[in-house]
Amino acid sequence: MNNEIPVQSLGPQGEVMAHAVDACVHCGFCLPACPTYAILGDEMDSPRGRIVLMKEVLEGELPLADAAPHLDRCLGCQACVSACPSGVPYGELITSFRGWSEPLRERSPFDRAKRAAILKILPAPRVFSVAARVGQYAKPLAPLLPAALRAPMDLLPEHVPAMQPNARVTPARGRKRGRVAFLAGCAQQALAPNFNAATLRVLARNGIEVVIPEGQGCCGAAALHTGARDEALRLVRQNLRAFDPDEYDAILSNAAGCGAGLKEYPVVVHGLEGEERARAFAAKVQDISEYLGKLLREGDLERPMPTSRPLTVAYHDACHLAHAQKIRLAPRELLRAIPGVTVAEVPEGDLCCGSAGTYNLEQPELANQLGVRKAGNILSTTPDLIASGNIGCHTQIQSHVRRQGSRVPVLHTVEVLDLAYRGEL
Amino acid sequence: MTPEKVASTPGSPARGPRSNGVPDSPLAAELTRTLGPKKVLSARSERLNYRYDAIQFGETPLAVVLPESTADVVTAVRAARAAGVPVVGRGAASGLSGGAAPLRESLVISFTRMTRLEVFPERREARAQSGVVTLSVTEKARPHGLIYPPDPASFRTSTIGGNLGENAGGPMCFKYGVTGDYVKGLEFVDEGGEVHELTRDAYDLAGLLIGSEGTLGLITEATLRLTPPPRYTRTLMASFPEVGEAAEAVSAAIAAGAVPSKLEFMDRACTNAVEDFLAIGLPREAGAVLLVDTDGDDLETVEEERALVEAACLRAGGTVRRAATDAESAALWQARRSVSPALGRIRPQRMNEDIVVPRSALPDVVREIRALGDASGLPLVQFGHIGDGNLHPNILFDPRRESPAAVHDLAHEIALVAIRHGGVLSGEHGIGTMKRPFMREAVDPVTLGALWSVKHALDPRELLNPGKILPDEHEDAPHAHP
Repeated sequence: MNNEIPVQSLGPQGEVMAHAVDACVHCGFCLPACPTYAILGDEMDSPRGRIVLMKEVLEGELPLADAAPHLDRCLGCQACVSACPSGVPYGELITSFRGWSEPLRERSPFDRAKRAAILKILPAPRVFSVAARVGQYAKPLAPLLPAALRAPMDLLPEHVPAMQPNARVTPARGRKRGRVAFLAGCAQQALAPNFNAATLRVLARNGIEVVIPEGQGCCGAAALHTGARDEALRLVRQNLRAFDPDEYDAILSNAAGCGAGLKEYPVVVHGLEGEERARAFAAKVQDISEYLGKLLREGDLERPMPTSRPLTVAYHDACHLAHAQKIRLAPRELLRAIPGVTVAEVPEGDLCCGSAGTYNLEQPELANQLGVRKAGNILSTTPDLIASGNIGCHTQIQSHVRRQGSRVPVLHTVEVLDLAYRGEL
Repeated sequence: MTPEKVASTPGSPARGPRSNGVPDSPLAAELTRTLGPKKVLSARSERLNYRYDAIQFGETPLAVVLPESTADVVTAVRAARAAGVPVVGRGAASGLSGGAAPLRESLVISFTRMTRLEVFPERREARAQSGVVTLSVTEKARPHGLIYPPDPASFRTSTIGGNLGENAGGPMCFKYGVTGDYVKGLEFVDEGGEVHELTRDAYDLAGLLIGSEGTLGLITEATLRLTPPPRYTRTLMASFPEVGEAAEAVSAAIAAGAVPSKLEFMDRACTNAVEDFLAIGLPREAGAVLLVDTDGDDLETVEEERALVEAACLRAGGTVRRAATDAESAALWQARRSVSPALGRIRPQRMNEDIVVPRSALPDVVREIRALGDASGLPLVQFGHIGDGNLHPNILFDPRRESPAAVHDLAHEIALVAIRHGGVLSGEHGIGTMKRPFMREAVDPVTLGALWSVKHALDPRELLNPGKILPDEHEDAPHAHP
């Protein structure tokens, strides 16, 4: 659409934003894909509406505070990107906009403290682990607490497992066929340490040596998507130093949100020093399912053992896998490679579960509505197992299916594969 | 007027945006009092988003109402009338003629929350409120062994109300007919706020309302006809070196007795734009691609019709590929549905046409339009429902690179090609503001007079979507430049 965004004064991120607005032909194909439009049914809470609002703010036609409520409700799930025939890079637009606008926001001291706490605790596995344990014991008090504090409690599993330190190098078993670097992630080390343990076992079993480079940190996606751009830049630079793309066949993540974040590095440092390195880095980044799926297609993946009985696995598409990274087929192929597994397609599978990084802490009400809807859709397939590829989705879905009275196990795709290898399915 | 002209009221004092909750106008305040704050949008940040459709930006409305019932619509229309403010109806705003973009400060009535939908399988009918999404009618009817055939490209987004307002078509319409062919009855609110129930008998007023683009009344509900889906469908794709050959194949196939259910075409630029989006292996080199469905309950007949189409395509110089699976067929049709928005990859804006010409003239028409495009130096693409002679020539442009006046001139020349070959200007998108400048050339003065008489009878104060369809009554110029 026509715009008069002052690119000159906005710098490299302004170019990214102006290009996205340019590409939008406001056709409305994104409306039915958008979770908040599905719930609220008004144009301001649709991708097309938000693009117009961002354009108006950037052009100086609309005060940021007036547009903010609608922009804050965007999950950043990028379902609109999959639906958009014009190729609008909406994810890049909303991320850049949040980075640009955050310093201009007027926020209450409580709001600021909450956001700072989230960004402090989330990227620090040990701190997160302690916080999760405290939260676990405080769970019975949840009804007495304000909603902002209740939301994270609701999401905690009944049992927070102990942290498991991962070896810096996991050698390949048998013939060594590859060497990859691995991003260990943050919250998931505290909430679901078996994700990483299973990942390392499955890779090693397939002859892949796994290195967890020293000095790596949080991928920066949480900071980036909440507009804490300076913090995000710091984390991006830290990881660009820690991971030398020339040293590895691939740089792997087993969290869809983190992987998508890593692939975004070139956009984050666009026009700044290190853009070249970021491009080389991003070219090597793969989700664990993408990497294993390639092995499977090339006939190089060890065959999993059959299940003890026929199993229906409901596979949940994490938005940051399906929409942000366009990975839909690989996880399904990996699950189907287990003899005895049938993959069930979840109705409204493209609709976000509402976890969306820090969204369920920032917008608990909408997140809850989406969680209820997602859990209902998943359970309608009467699954024996639920699999996904993202820690955020995992905790959200687990908490909502339990609330709906189901005891069905919720696992990471790679955990399902790991169990199959060990003959425990 | 150029598409996307961001209208601003010259000379009006710039009103600083208020914080949410304080209505910006007396009308918004009155509506908030009568309908409650949940159904009324009055803050500028909210109203801004109700000034456009999928082709044009208009004037920011004074207020927006999101009715949940016909009674809410009546309340809104009466308040607007009392305030002397025009009323513009809006569905999903996926239209391509400027129909839902207000030309003056108006009250926009957005039907997206009126989504009640009931299916009556024994009567093969559905009763749908205006805000029902088109595709959901078929989704709800399918378990009963029924479908709702009209399938505009935007059917995942568009609403029944918008489809009725524009009398929308779609690929299925070649064999099955357009929206209007599936309407058994309507409920509408007139400019005075009275509610009427219409059927398709004496004085087919329902027919008058269908395609009237909200200029004669606001349709609130419709009774729709459902049909059982065909038992068998077969899909083929044919590619041709040159657009005229594709048009020749179409004429020949139909002359040979084939009645495809869908018969669509896209030229090279379109094919490449959707291939960039979907990556499904479309032939990037072909000058034109035809997509054809044949369907029916008797497989032998369906196959026979497909063979007729294939033979015609081969004779005209094409190569043919059959869709082997339902998934492949679905992917091809998704590609066709994505053409229009995918053109945004080439240029951010477009002037889109919606001409209909006699099938016998198709080869000449597509070639003449292609030549005009080449001569103009502007990126011009063609696609559309070629089976019924309904073409969508689109001129793509970036106002920073191409002159809107040149775009307008080329659009005018294309319109004249259609008229010269005995065609009309609008097949399905509506006239809106986009084709309005050409109306005097398309419709003779006596007929225009009759149209104005209808408009005066149903909308004496010209409060319903003013400035759309009909050229100014007392304006002599054939068309005004932007």
